[in-house]
Amino acid sequence: MKAFIRSAGIISPQQTYDCRGFPEVFRGGISDRLSCIEPDYHSLINPVQLRRMPRILKMGLAAARLALSDQENADPDGIIVGTGLGCLRSLETFLDEIFDTGEQIKSVLPFINSTHNAVAAQIAMLLKNNSYNVTYCHRSFSFESALADALMQLKEKSGMNILVGGIDELTDDFITLHRPERFRKEQLNTLELVSAPDRGTIPGEGAAFFLISDNSGNGACAGIRGVHTFLTDPRSAQELIFAETDKFLESSGMDRKDIDLVILGMNGDTESDAIYKELARDYFDSSTGIGCYKHLCGEYYTSTAFALWAAKNILETRAVPGMMVRKETGRKSIDKILIYNHFLNTEHSFIIAGKD
Amino acid sequence: MQPGVVVTGIGIVSAIGIGTEETLTSLLNKRSGIAPVRWLETIHSGIPVAEVSHSTDELAEIAGTSGQPGIFTRNTLLAMIAAGQSVEMSEPSGSGLDQAGLVMATTVGGMDYNEKHYRSLLAGKETAGGTSVLDSSDTTEKLAARFGILRNVTTISTACSSSANAIMLASRLIRNGKLTRVLAGGSDALTIFTLNGFRGLELLSPTGCRPFDAHRDGLTLGEGAAVLMLESDRTADMSKALCRISGYANVNEAFHQTSASPDGAGAFMAMSECLESAGLEPWEIGYINAHGTGTEMNDRAEALAIERLFGRKIPPVSSTKAFTGHTLGAAGAIEAVISVLAIREQKVWPSIHINEVMPEISFLPPNDTLSVPVGHVMSNSFGFGGNNTSLIFSEI
Repeated sequence: MKAFIRSAGIISPQQTYDCRGFPEVFRGGISDRLSCIEPDYHSLINPVQLRRMPRILKMGLAAARLALSDQENADPDGIIVGTGLGCLRSLETFLDEIFDTGEQIKSVLPFINSTHNAVAAQIAMLLKNNSYNVTYCHRSFSFESALADALMQLKEKSGMNILVGGIDELTDDFITLHRPERFRKEQLNTLELVSAPDRGTIPGEGAAFFLISDNSGNGACAGIRGVHTFLTDPRSAQELIFAETDKFLESSGMDRKDIDLVILGMNGDTESDAIYKELARDYFDSSTGIGCYKHLCGEYYTSTAFALWAAKNILETRAVPGMMVRKETGRKSIDKILIYNHFLNTEHSFIIAGKD
Repeated sequence: MQPGVVVTGIGIVSAIGIGTEETLTSLLNKRSGIAPVRWLETIHSGIPVAEVSHSTDELAEIAGTSGQPGIFTRNTLLAMIAAGQSVEMSEPSGSGLDQAGLVMATTVGGMDYNEKHYRSLLAGKETAGGTSVLDSSDTTEKLAARFGILRNVTTISTACSSSANAIMLASRLIRNGKLTRVLAGGSDALTIFTLNGFRGLELLSPTGCRPFDAHRDGLTLGEGAAVLMLESDRTADMSKALCRISGYANVNEAFHQTSASPDGAGAFMAMSECLESAGLEPWEIGYINAHGTGTEMNDRAEALAIERLFGRKIPPVSSTKAFTGHTLGAAGAIEAVISVLAIREQKVWPSIHINEVMPEISFLPPNDTLSVPVGHVMSNSFGFGGNNTSLIFSEI
């Protein structure tokens, strides 16, 4: 079954909200994080609603709006969202309120906004859309789970358009909590994250939505060919991953030679990157190109939504931005892209994007 | 033809007991689990709740994880116990689960641990168990590790319909031929986070919930977990099949973040699409296990939707939340197990704590257990954000 990406909308740490493909330049800077460049939301969301809206809802509603903006039929047949942490800031705010007031809370709004399904629900409300509506919250499988569900929806009934997205927001508390185990202690030039590996990565965030369908609409050429997730014990990840990649490619009617470009979730953490390096070196055909993306968006649970957006652009523009290239592809054209990502050598995910 | 979905194992932990037999005994004896706060450390201890009657340490002992504090949250322990029962019933050897899927659901995940330790974690004073237990997927991954499930593992969070959606996804994975068995369910431990949230919304009953009563005054929070083993009818040992999952529907009411539309439009859509997916007529439903939270708004909207859809042939309707409390992300799965038990026992469970039925409705939720033929049970789960899901369970 074919699943076309008819359109995309993305808010990311790059200047992406106002361009159709890649931005002209990728932004970097000396920092310990990558935060989104956000649009003026007034043009995308009703100002009355905007007033007390948490940031993640603004990001999600705006990205969904952008994904639907050039579509004639803007009423999707399903809204499926993946978010590793959901509406984290509201959750933290409500926890603080409970602690600070000794359980005599004054505002319940952060609680209302803290539910993980708030983004998908608010999109439905914005569009007055009654269709299938689900939110997946499973760390680095969140977006993949949403995508797998969307593909199954398309298989169940033809002629549907499904809005599927990945979204996570970065908060100060999240960085504080996770820095000791996962994030760099020093600031760095974010664009050099992957090329200068060390212990830890830098956190990021983003919201990317896609309208996918089993028909190409106005000539969409990029599509999704398969999604797969796999859990391993971190100690045996390296020995298992080659066989699992084989198995997944085979189940998608391909083998490793068919992959023209692989986009890896390298995040600059020495320990985490080892498995990517091994795959890049020993697994793929020598003419397969190697790319990476987390120096552009940071590490977050739904970063593969950013990677899928990049893959869509690459398939449409037939070029890999220099900033993403680790090894040039030796292929005449890029028709099949494999996105491989893992979280702490435990959660592994694959997405195949392809072109007709 | 697509394969059908059968339930071959059920596990349940709630305020009315651990396991199907304790649950059944409580249902048959009209023994509610709603009581004063016993375990939760809150200043609002006057608000009745439906807690599981064991401390977290005791639950760890039952789950076989004693001596690892901070690693297994109360939420995870509840889920582990329920999942263990389900696997034990379906596949006592525990073999073959490496090819199974796992779809769990929760609203606040490891919040029970989080809220106790958050400030000391933030201050860097504490790392034991660490930050990995904080998010929704922690419980799911601990179950995956315990049962050796590697692929098709995920977690759904759609507020109070979370685990109904987990069961729906698991059913679709089987019907689409992607998997032949999936462990599906949900869990939520009682937390001060949710207690204060629902209290802030003025949705908590000061006396204990009374779904469908004229003078109902709110919901009662509960806690628990339930996990079902779903299998393809092509490969399952059908002698173990307890019932079929014959219909499911998920809609979004798109009305309001925390309230249902007064006319129950979302409930109506979920139930009618669910009937359609099962290929059933309204009159074929033998029992409706309602969402029935006991709030003014939910019960009216749901009841009106039931009246509109079922017309003059309304099957017995009851809410078992007066037994278990509202277990949020676990509710869909807990009520799924209770619905499976209704089919297995051929009984309709009572809607307890009703003194005077709400005047707007024409049907009478039963006061006592009814022994009647129960061929098809509809179970409703409606959540914040308008996430409404209905499921239908059918006799084999």
